[in-house]
Amino acid sequence: MVSALMRKSVTDLSRRRSRTFFAVGTLALAVASIGIFAMPTLIDRSMQAEVAAGKLPDLTVFTSPLVLDRAHLAALGAVPNVRAVEPRSFFEGRVYIGSRRAPAYVEGVPDFASQQADVVHVASGAAPGRGEVLTDLQNANQGLLDVGAGETVRVIAADNSLQRLRVSGEGRNLNGGQDVTSDNVVVLYATPETVAALSGVPGYESLAFRLADARPAAVASTLAAVRRELVGTPGFTGFTWLPEVRAPGDWPGKEDVQKFSDFFYVITVLALLSAFVLIANTLTTLVAEQTSEIGMMKAVGGRRRQITGVYVRTALLLGALGTVVGIGLGIALSNVFVRYLGSTFFAIDVAFGVDARVLAVSVLVGLLGPILAALPAIRRAVRVPLREALEATGSAVGSQDAGDRLLRRVRFLPRTAQIGLRNVGRRRRRSFATALMVALAVGNLLAVLGLAAAVTDVTHANWRDHGEDLKLTTESERPLDAGGLQLVRSTPGVAEVEPMFDAEITLAGEEGYVWAVRQATMFRYHIADGRWFTPAEEQARARVAVVERSIARATDTKVGDTIRIETPVGPVALRVIGIASNLQENGTVLFVPRATMREVLHGTPTRADDYWIRTTSDDHGLIDRTTTSLEDRLTAAGYEVGTEITYVGEADNVASNRTITTSIAVLGLLIVAISMVGLANAMTMSVIERTREVGILRTIGARSRDVRRIFAVESLVLGLAGWLLGIPLGYLLDHVLVWLMKEVVNVDVPFTFPLGNVAVALVGTIVLALLVTLLPIRRAVRFRPGEALRYA
Amino acid sequence: MSTETITRTETEGEREPPAPRACASLIELAGVEKVYRMGKVDYRALRGVDLVIDAGEMVAVVGPSGSGKTTILNLITGIDRPTSGTVVVDGQRLDEMSEEQLAVWRGGNVGIVFQFFQLLPTLSALENAVLPLDFARRGRKRERFERARHNLELVGLGDKLDHLPAELSGGEQQRVAIARSLAADPKLIVGDEPTGNLDTVTAAEMFELLERLNREGKTILFVTHDRQLAARAQRVVEIRDGVVVAS
Repeated sequence: MVSALMRKSVTDLSRRRSRTFFAVGTLALAVASIGIFAMPTLIDRSMQAEVAAGKLPDLTVFTSPLVLDRAHLAALGAVPNVRAVEPRSFFEGRVYIGSRRAPAYVEGVPDFASQQADVVHVASGAAPGRGEVLTDLQNANQGLLDVGAGETVRVIAADNSLQRLRVSGEGRNLNGGQDVTSDNVVVLYATPETVAALSGVPGYESLAFRLADARPAAVASTLAAVRRELVGTPGFTGFTWLPEVRAPGDWPGKEDVQKFSDFFYVITVLALLSAFVLIANTLTTLVAEQTSEIGMMKAVGGRRRQITGVYVRTALLLGALGTVVGIGLGIALSNVFVRYLGSTFFAIDVAFGVDARVLAVSVLVGLLGPILAALPAIRRAVRVPLREALEATGSAVGSQDAGDRLLRRVRFLPRTAQIGLRNVGRRRRRSFATALMVALAVGNLLAVLGLAAAVTDVTHANWRDHGEDLKLTTESERPLDAGGLQLVRSTPGVAEVEPMFDAEITLAGEEGYVWAVRQATMFRYHIADGRWFTPAEEQARARVAVVERSIARATDTKVGDTIRIETPVGPVALRVIGIASNLQENGTVLFVPRATMREVLHGTPTRADDYWIRTTSDDHGLIDRTTTSLEDRLTAAGYEVGTEITYVGEADNVASNRTITTSIAVLGLLIVAISMVGLANAMTMSVIERTREVGILRTIGARSRDVRRIFAVESLVLGLAGWLLGIPLGYLLDHVLVWLMKEVVNVDVPFTFPLGNVAVALVGTIVLALLVTLLPIRRAVRFRPGEALRYA
Repeated sequence: MSTETITRTETEGEREPPAPRACASLIELAGVEKVYRMGKVDYRALRGVDLVIDAGEMVAVVGPSGSGKTTILNLITGIDRPTSGTVVVDGQRLDEMSEEQLAVWRGGNVGIVFQFFQLLPTLSALENAVLPLDFARRGRKRERFERARHNLELVGLGDKLDHLPAELSGGEQQRVAIARSLAADPKLIVGDEPTGNLDTVTAAEMFELLERLNREGKTILFVTHDRQLAARAQRVVEIRDGVVVAS
């Protein structure tokens, strides 16, 4: 048999279904948001499974092409600590995407059926035979190259011949996929024979090892043993690059995922905060309106501890219900996010998973949170003197304090609007908490919109600053001479050519770049202070510089200062004549006359010029054709050149930034949802509390629309108060997010707070404030006056 | 106090409700039954009540707790609907009206005074008194306020127009409630224990006010436990177990 006090804890919830539903719903959302913290574990778990299935190497060495037979490979496999070895060949070239050429790798896999490390899985179709390729899944996912089995890829071989290779299917490889994502390069897999046909050179250029012991000391000694084994192999002259060592537990892209998650955590914390303000609000109201019942319990002998126990149990019950729902929701949410990350960045299907630690924290927070939130209200309620408690009406009365007098002055509104307005002042604490919740939503929305606008603006602005349609890069061993330049200028589609070059420097310890450009540059600089250099200064090779604002701020550099930059030839003094508001290279560029930098770097091995080229039209087709023409003509003339097309670079940049801003926006919407639940909750309680009052209004002639207007005005006022509070909060949060972008994601965006977003937030707040009241008000007007008057 | 024979229900569910009379009477209940569903139990609050009240009468409804007194008032004011039977007030069939129509009708035709006053706590005395006119959208704002002011002066609260309910005594709050009930100058004023929450002196003052309104031509119908107060009415209707036993 259940005690009466225990039964009361249960019936307090079962009798107030709407409120219980909202409280449980909000708590569930809060507990669910804790699930976000499970993301890194879940994805790591899946990636570890992928690492195992993909036999990711612990050590990879790079050599010039080596022809290795079975005996060689067996000997390498027998080196102590080596469990398996997998040789690969490579061709680095270009493929045609439409009429445009894009950089590509083709990786040669000796035996697709029996790979010892760094496995390339055949996801669809078949392993490639001679003259065929497998396209990495990420090529299509990232929008680089979308071809399927049976189609043809046109690859430009080392001898500039065009090779048409049939696509045998789609493949998946952790390292290859990461190359596509991070380097924007098309990755294809083929047989070593196909790769040799493309490169013109047979042999393997990398050896991937799986080791028994991957600790640093063991790896170092294995490396030495491998080197000893390779000495004497024809063609081996040493390793051509630093070996790649994979730390135990590491996988490609892990660091980026961690940064992504770190950013999410901040938003999650905001969501949690919103949810707990709401829960505290709900439980405070629940307890406060039971003041008279508490008085009754005291009157019949209830002690404080016993009465406290009743409400603690109620809070615990709420917590248990919310936790159960929230855990289910959190598991679903985290798995959805992780699947999204997995498929977008790694082209893997992440298995369903649960993080036990996060689950435990969710249970703890879900159960304890409501109790802690309710305790202050319970404490207050049990300390109210008995007589006062028994007389408590449950609905605050009007008073003559300043706030209420102010509200009563608003007489120009219709009576119903006046009633709604004054109702806001009747439950101050709850009204303030509700407005605060709306403020959190508005603030968060403004911050997220501000950040998204900043990221988008800066991305487009940065690219708009580029006057060139493509950039021609040259190898320093054979820069373009007069003949080469003439070839460039005479290529159909070329309108203007500007030689320039860049160099890495440091200024007062800050890493930066020098862009050595013409005075009449096609780059669109924006002078914030000072001026650009003059033709006379260019002619005189004056030691002057225009500094971008970010690095100027970081180093406290102003117009008129003389700065010393560290270059490959040592320190160089430059006089600052201008500050530019451009944001190239995250705002770390110093613009210096090209002639000046040539003189500064004279006599030292320097980069040859690159060339900014403006085409005769900005039509993308023409730009692609001009690029192809330039490459063909210069390559035929023996010059080694590369090209970077501006519109392609911009599209890639925008696409990758969109992923960040979309993810931020999704979480931002979660906070908005929680806050709107809070507003709906507050309005539902307001309507429930005033059921009798609504009955009275109906008895003296109020129509449904009069009642609707009263509550609509109350909701609108709370929403507007929240909107007002949310503006400064959003301003602050925007700063925080911009700081986070720089510190965590390493993307420098300027702070921007468009006032248009404030208007958008206002419209959104009004619409949502009215929407969330629809259901509660429908309930209010549905009651017959008789039922309403009898409502207890 | 006049007497009138009221036809009682003879057999439940077998009577045809009598046709409404042509209007010398203000209120007519014919064969009215009211059943409340309380969880799994049906509670029959009224069992076939017939009642006629003429315009200008002052009628007290008495009976023990749970006899159906308040239910009769609620049916006459349209606050509740009969389960069966007809309710006609001033020629209008209330049982056939929608909730919206009832709300509008009440605002213009009935003044209701509750035991616990039921004023809106955030509105001043004047604002509470003008509320029915605001809902009915009758006249201009200035005219409505003038009327409300007049009614408050009528009930002796001309000097407390801006006071909130929390700043008024129980008697004063009840006067505001009466002033509110007079807002639309209704023919009928209904009170559910209008003096139940007042001390004897104040209760007597309140009743004198109601008597004065009756002398001015208003029909007053009130529920009371107080037999002495009931005796001052022109007519007493006694209800017991949902049936009118005397009138």
